[in-house]
Amino acid sequence: MFAVTLSAMLVVLTGSNVFARAWIDGISGTSFAFTAGAGEVSTPDGNSIHFWGYHAPGSNPAGVPQYPGPTLILQEDVPVTITLTSALPFGQCTSIVFPGHIVTATGGRPGVLARESCGTSAAETVEYTFTPTEPGTYTYYSGTQMELQVEMGLVGTIIVRPGVPEQAYNHADTYFDHEYLFMLTSMAPAIHQLANMGKFDQIDMSTRWPVYWFINGRGAPDDLAEPFVGYLPHQPYNCTPRMTPGQRILVRIIGGDQDQHPLHLHGNHFYEIARDGRMLASNPPTSGPDLKRGHVTALSVPGQTVDAIFEWTGENLGWDIYGTPADNRPAHNCIDVAPADGYADADSDYPMEWCGDHNKPLPVALPENQDLAFGGWWSGSPFMGDLGDLPPGEGGLNPFGGFFFMWHSHAEKELTNFDIFPGGMMSMMVVEPPGTPIDSGTAIP
Amino acid sequence: MVKLEISPDWNRLGNTQGVIIMKMNKMYHILFLTVFLLFVSVLSSEAAVDIQCPCDMNGDGDCEDVVSGQYDEPALQDSLGVTCLHLGGGDGFAIMADGRPQYIFGFSNLTGIPSANVMEAGILAAHWPAPAIAVNQGEEFYLSLTNVGMLIRPDLFDPHTVHFHGFPQSSTVFDGLPESGISISMGATLTYYYNLVGPGTYMYHCHVEATEHMQMGMLGNLYVRAAQSWLGAPGVPAGDLAECNAPGDQFAGPCGYVYNDQDGSTAYDLEYPLQLGGFDPDFHDASWTVQPLPFAMMWDRYPMINGRGYPDTVNTGPMPQPMDGGEDLNGAVNSQVEHSLITAAPGDRILLRLSNLNITVTHTLISPSIPMTVVGIDAKELRSTANESLHYTTNSITIGGGMAADVILDTTGIPAGTYYLYAANLEYLSNLDEDFGGIMTEIRIQ
Repeated sequence: MFAVTLSAMLVVLTGSNVFARAWIDGISGTSFAFTAGAGEVSTPDGNSIHFWGYHAPGSNPAGVPQYPGPTLILQEDVPVTITLTSALPFGQCTSIVFPGHIVTATGGRPGVLARESCGTSAAETVEYTFTPTEPGTYTYYSGTQMELQVEMGLVGTIIVRPGVPEQAYNHADTYFDHEYLFMLTSMAPAIHQLANMGKFDQIDMSTRWPVYWFINGRGAPDDLAEPFVGYLPHQPYNCTPRMTPGQRILVRIIGGDQDQHPLHLHGNHFYEIARDGRMLASNPPTSGPDLKRGHVTALSVPGQTVDAIFEWTGENLGWDIYGTPADNRPAHNCIDVAPADGYADADSDYPMEWCGDHNKPLPVALPENQDLAFGGWWSGSPFMGDLGDLPPGEGGLNPFGGFFFMWHSHAEKELTNFDIFPGGMMSMMVVEPPGTPIDSGTAIP
Repeated sequence: MVKLEISPDWNRLGNTQGVIIMKMNKMYHILFLTVFLLFVSVLSSEAAVDIQCPCDMNGDGDCEDVVSGQYDEPALQDSLGVTCLHLGGGDGFAIMADGRPQYIFGFSNLTGIPSANVMEAGILAAHWPAPAIAVNQGEEFYLSLTNVGMLIRPDLFDPHTVHFHGFPQSSTVFDGLPESGISISMGATLTYYYNLVGPGTYMYHCHVEATEHMQMGMLGNLYVRAAQSWLGAPGVPAGDLAECNAPGDQFAGPCGYVYNDQDGSTAYDLEYPLQLGGFDPDFHDASWTVQPLPFAMMWDRYPMINGRGYPDTVNTGPMPQPMDGGEDLNGAVNSQVEHSLITAAPGDRILLRLSNLNITVTHTLISPSIPMTVVGIDAKELRSTANESLHYTTNSITIGGGMAADVILDTTGIPAGTYYLYAANLEYLSNLDEDFGGIMTEIRIQ
């Protein structure tokens, strides 16, 4: 309780002046030296799965192949070069394709979709060069025996930033306060076991039966841990979206495997503003994303990327999310003068509160604690920023009294780690009380 | 008292090991029910059915007009801008199109039942799908959920929730997500409050142990009718929601509008909520027989619309009771009351409120003969930020799990006859081993 109180005090002390933007972790630059190799992915049920992944200098602290591959943060119109050497077991050849970009390749050997590397010698190094001319979210993956190699883990993300980095595209309506990645993948361990033993002739992709599902390479709840933790050396990336009321989250969603994973965001509608790195616009970029689509579930299609803007204020809930004296919560103000937009001004007690619901008590009485079951992210109170009494051992994952919402695959079978619920393709987004510091994302160690 | 026998159904499915299914005769049933009720009643000295509805005076979960002396007056809800509903969360049985019974978890409608009788009425009364909920924009919606326990699985202490899927700007306390909120234990009631501001097609389901409770059937239709339907708009006449299920009515205007479109472009004459779902019989049997649940092997082989596979989808009469060895597993309860037969007169505009709550499959629905005009997805009208209509006409629509679509079929110029609506992923036109069934229904123009 002391830690909780201290955290709450920190919020009060630091006030709303603290603002740091959460960025997606990755490596930036114009030249990347990729190596494809093998490793072991950890799953939350204690299993480990042999996988193939890319790594590049500085992409993860252990310097090992990673799942998914390094997220490349590129600049619009700045040419990049990516070299690839294959350190895959059994002398397997590999390559990379970059959908959405015009790529030239040299070195290595001719392949079906792209030039390939079949070893670690200099002669086996392929060099891919392209200029990302359009901002947005892209993916890259193996172009060699891709039905197997993507399953094995050879897939990654490319983010192309426009001149204004806090915009997704070259229009102010694509502004975001924080951005988070949802690279959606799955694994069928039987295939990985055969690949580990080199029994490629026994692999039958038509009988693929995935039992693990991942966001950014981790199954829940591992995706809620910090990024770059030492106990997940091959899985550097996490997925912990956070915001405060009124902020805008850019959600970059990628269908990274061969299946569809309808990604449902609890909390509010979101707006798809782009697909495959192209704004949904009648006249891009001038018009902005005027053809954006409101959704509660993104139909994540294999190979497709979706950029979505999510906002939350609690508007029109019909009760005051900060509580009222009738709810035994302290009185607070809701000043809506400049701008008079219905939301509390910055000098209000709770900026961005929807003043239309101000001072309306909770309309129903909640059952007694003995009639309820509690989630770990339940603060004990329906009110934002409040911590209620809970029985011993309950709650504890919500020190600021935020509103947590699950962002998950609505193919609910995928909320499991090989027969164990809960887990899999699931993350918890939190709307923290105004002024709560949001992690700025972890710099590459 | 307890009969142990090898179920022939299991052998038919290729389970050669012979799984023993415990079956209870009716006498045992009654004894068990009594013990169960006693057990629930002592769960907590404070636990109680506590239905909250601001215009409910006699504790049965609906509205009364104390001034006029009229009790249980649904019309009163409209005048007060309040809607109250009382659901039970529990278990029961459903029957598949091939005659096989399936053990289910589900919701039942307990509105209007005095609180003292709620547990008795709710036990073994689960419906598949859950009762359809139609509410109106602008109303305050009080939804009470009583956990009546699961008679067939007294070893389970599962709480339940209602997740109003897609509700805009939701809070955690009323989101029904157990991980970040609260869920209701057996013998008690939790009342959810929703201020209905966003019209469109949503859905609802229990979110407790989501993969299990959703596979087991705690899924239902939920939609919010747009205020333009009764208020009209400049140049757009008000509709008449009483006409929503009257094909070829003489009323000049529409039944309603899907959205507050301001131009009448989402007008419809008939309204059919169609929810796609599916059961994995191995999972349901494992739950019934208290076996480990096959999450990893989950494979839905009973594809359904509104809880039935074709041809049951077009059966407007009562479904047969789920039977097992001559025993009616549901007692008197008819658990599958929603058919999906669409009947229209030429010229009717048919609104299909489509949703997919199958937890393993993204479905494509196809209407090969009558074009579909998609006017909304996920409870948002298709409009540009410049307010230009982005409605589009198609013959197929793909909806993943947790997605909804508002589709209007304009029957103008369509000759009388029977037309079909079905899953374009054709392997889902089956009822387990029967290879013609599943996700299909008929549109009869007459």
